[in-house]
Amino acid sequence: MTNILETNDLTVTFGGLNACDHVDLAVPTGKFVGLIGPNGAGKTTFIDAITGYVPTSDGNAVFDGNDIGELKPHERAQSGLVRTFQSLELFEDLTVRDNLLVAAYPTRWYTFIADMFHLSRQDKEIEERVNWALNIMGLNDVSDSMPTDLSHGRRKLVGVARALAAKPKLILLDEPAAGLDTAESQTLGGHLREFLNHDMSVFLIDHDMGLVLSVCDFIYVLDFGKIIASGTPTEIRESAAVKAAYLGEEAGEIQVQEGERMRSQQHESGEDND
Amino acid sequence: MSAFLVALIAGIGAGALYAMLGSGIVVAFRGSGVINFGHGAVAGYTAYSFDELRESGSLYLPWFDPIPEFGFLQTLRINNLPVRIDIFDNVTLAEKPNLAITFIICLLMSAFLGLLMHFLVFRPLRNSPTLGKVIGSIGVFLYLSSMCAVHFGGQNRYDEGFTGFNSTSGAVKNFLGLGGTIPRSNFWLFGAAIVMCVAVWALYRYSRFGIATRAADENEKGAALLGYSPQFLAGANWVLASVTAGVAGILFLHKTQPAQIALFVVGGLGAALFGNLTSIPGATMGGLIIGMIASGGVELTTNSWWPEIIPGDGVRNFMPLLIIILVLYFRGDKLPIRGSISIGRQPRAPTSTNVIIGAIAALGIGLLLSNIFVSKWEAVLTTTIIAIVFMYSLTVLIGFLGQISLVQWTISGLAAYVMIRLMADGTKIRETDFVTNTGWGWPTVLAFIAAIAVAVIFGLLVGLPALRIRGVQLAVVTIAAVIAVESLLLRNPPLMGDGSVSVNPTPSPNWFGQYVGGFNPNTARTDYWKFSLFIIIIAGLIGVGVANLRRGQIGRRFLAIRANERAAAAAGINVANMKLLGFGISSGIAAIAGCMLAYKLPGLQTDQFEIFGGLALLAFAYLGGITTVWGAIVGGCLIAGGLLPEFLGVHFESVDTGLINAVGAIGLVVNAKVTNGEGVALLQTDLAKNTLAALRREPDETEEAEENSNNDTEEVTA
Repeated sequence: MTNILETNDLTVTFGGLNACDHVDLAVPTGKFVGLIGPNGAGKTTFIDAITGYVPTSDGNAVFDGNDIGELKPHERAQSGLVRTFQSLELFEDLTVRDNLLVAAYPTRWYTFIADMFHLSRQDKEIEERVNWALNIMGLNDVSDSMPTDLSHGRRKLVGVARALAAKPKLILLDEPAAGLDTAESQTLGGHLREFLNHDMSVFLIDHDMGLVLSVCDFIYVLDFGKIIASGTPTEIRESAAVKAAYLGEEAGEIQVQEGERMRSQQHESGEDND
Repeated sequence: MSAFLVALIAGIGAGALYAMLGSGIVVAFRGSGVINFGHGAVAGYTAYSFDELRESGSLYLPWFDPIPEFGFLQTLRINNLPVRIDIFDNVTLAEKPNLAITFIICLLMSAFLGLLMHFLVFRPLRNSPTLGKVIGSIGVFLYLSSMCAVHFGGQNRYDEGFTGFNSTSGAVKNFLGLGGTIPRSNFWLFGAAIVMCVAVWALYRYSRFGIATRAADENEKGAALLGYSPQFLAGANWVLASVTAGVAGILFLHKTQPAQIALFVVGGLGAALFGNLTSIPGATMGGLIIGMIASGGVELTTNSWWPEIIPGDGVRNFMPLLIIILVLYFRGDKLPIRGSISIGRQPRAPTSTNVIIGAIAALGIGLLLSNIFVSKWEAVLTTTIIAIVFMYSLTVLIGFLGQISLVQWTISGLAAYVMIRLMADGTKIRETDFVTNTGWGWPTVLAFIAAIAVAVIFGLLVGLPALRIRGVQLAVVTIAAVIAVESLLLRNPPLMGDGSVSVNPTPSPNWFGQYVGGFNPNTARTDYWKFSLFIIIIAGLIGVGVANLRRGQIGRRFLAIRANERAAAAAGINVANMKLLGFGISSGIAAIAGCMLAYKLPGLQTDQFEIFGGLALLAFAYLGGITTVWGAIVGGCLIAGGLLPEFLGVHFESVDTGLINAVGAIGLVVNAKVTNGEGVALLQTDLAKNTLAALRREPDETEEAEENSNNDTEEVTA
């Protein structure tokens, strides 16, 4: 089986501190891979590194058979490595549908000439894809609303839908469930596995252990920038190293989940203050 | 070599002005997070006040009587807003008012200006997005400059002021044995800049006020929690900044004309950036360096080997731009963006609906007003339409893409000049021409296209810095570019022809055999109907094009970049390319506006494209609505000499252009606060929509809208 994404010794250094420390990780094509870890473990930094938002100091990332180290963020996105953001990073002046269309249509610089004469044609396949993305995230009823008119949770879903509309080969979901209410969380969780049927692989970061354990085929655990464990959900559930990283030696699984939830809430409120 | 060294040292004179202005800009920035483009105008207004007090004993307050003093209004005698205070009686040339008292009164005036700026402009705009703040400070610039024109006629002033600081104080001969002479006043001014630097620095370093300001600068929320009111600190810093500007203006009164000081703000901005926008000694040093290299550079141009094509004045005005670009290049990412507690949202940029219907309606109205049917409004109509075309360029670049470029009007000028030079073939065009231009004699259409191409290339060059820097820093670069380009290209006789200081006659434009110039040889007026038709069609096409651009993919991408560059890259948008594309499209449209203006007039004058004209156009574009085509149309009708003022029956002459611009500047600031730059256009669309909705629906609709707006404010404070 081939891997859509592979990192070898990927290292990101912030002023002497290794936020990601020689991370070796692989996402097999067509699989659902999760990455979990406590706050500050370097999960988002890892996504930032492979999508080109922070420079790596060592190691490389291979996407779809090509080393992507030299590519700019938008080039990586165009090649099918599409991410979502933990914080809301929507285009607030565009409607929900336009947010998706921006990501869905490829553009050449001379498109503006066709645009000025209102000649650019709608691509049927792309429009269908956008509709599918809106549908799967339950955003049909608000497709012409502005993102600022939606609840926080639904705005996060817009972010996921935007990534889906870009026709990713691998979609990197950065805590998509954080800040969602129960209903929204279920919408998301219920559809995550469906992504795999649309020619894409999924890489998920989340604090919600329950979600990660239930949807992933394979899970990596990150702590202090290092991979401390990897395996199937069952193996991770049993792993002593994981328990140690999360709660110390003796903790049980339920506490793991609860602790995680509390952390994620704290994390959310902490972020809002930024 | 020694002459060069002497010139370098002599540069401390001009450098002292940059240093003082730069320090003041830093003070205002630390206090409020605003880079004040109007800082030089404060100095200019204070300098004028000083001179006026010494000459006539009257103090002019920085406002004007809103009720015009003519027609029946004059007979009603309702003009009673105090504008002038006569402080000293019996002022004669021999008996001028006491220097010290005048000085203090004028510093009080500048402190008052600082308070006004704080309370009327920057405090209301404290939560506006960057564009709103930049526009606010441009409003200050325009308003005070216009007030100078209205109250003091923009004339040169010659009061000698303080002994030592004026040009009559003699010269130092053979300084340090280098030969050559340096005016003694340069050393006095240098000393004054150093004293001001030390005083302000010590105030920040040791006083409680200074420490609180620094704390608020680092962390506004934290300072507020400790009981310092950020707004009080901001106000106090505005007063301090304005007083330093006032001192600079008065001390330089005899060296630099007050009308020019407003433009020296560019050097001040360079100095402030050199000081990283936080350090007073850094800004002082930066100012002195800019002054010295400018002076040294000008000295180099006097050498025989120096190419004549680069004028000394151009070198002088290029230096601030050079320093600004260098500082931004090397420290661009590290420059502080002073955090304030909240930042407002960008102005909305809705898609245009009914583009075709709107275009047909506009075309119809344009034709009806044109001299094809009515012969009265020809000049007004074409002025308006040219302004509208220019404003489309701002709609694309500032409204859609969010790049605050102040240089677009200069690009229009560049295109107009290039076109004229390419078309000219050395023949005399009209009886009235007293200059002939030599050139290549290109056909009209070819010259037009070439001019647009030159403008687009130049626009792309301006766009290059925008790839690294954004927001207000881009505005700083572009305003410096305006000054540099004006003197390097537009006021450059070898390049732009012998007539560039007086008149450049426009060769008669022939499009496919049709004469489309504005000048009508039969009536000897600018009312030729084919010209009106021509520009109505061009403006219509561009307007439809811009509206379509917003509806299409590129428009979406521009707005995505304006909203969030990080996310735009994640959505696969090549942000750099799109920005350059925006600069290119905008510059192309601006170039068309410039060429249209050249067609309209029998000749082009350099000052048509000077900075005030450009900023006034930006002001009215913003007032009309910077994010929509409709807004550009409204803005074009509002300008001095445009349809609306003319329809109001008021014919504005030179001084009153100042008044119109002052009104525009006020409207600008109000607009930035009230509609966030969406302008009159969207405001009235909203009003219409809300009224319709209120008529149609039951009240729960409005409740929902309120809820949404509440959500917005919550988000802002979070």
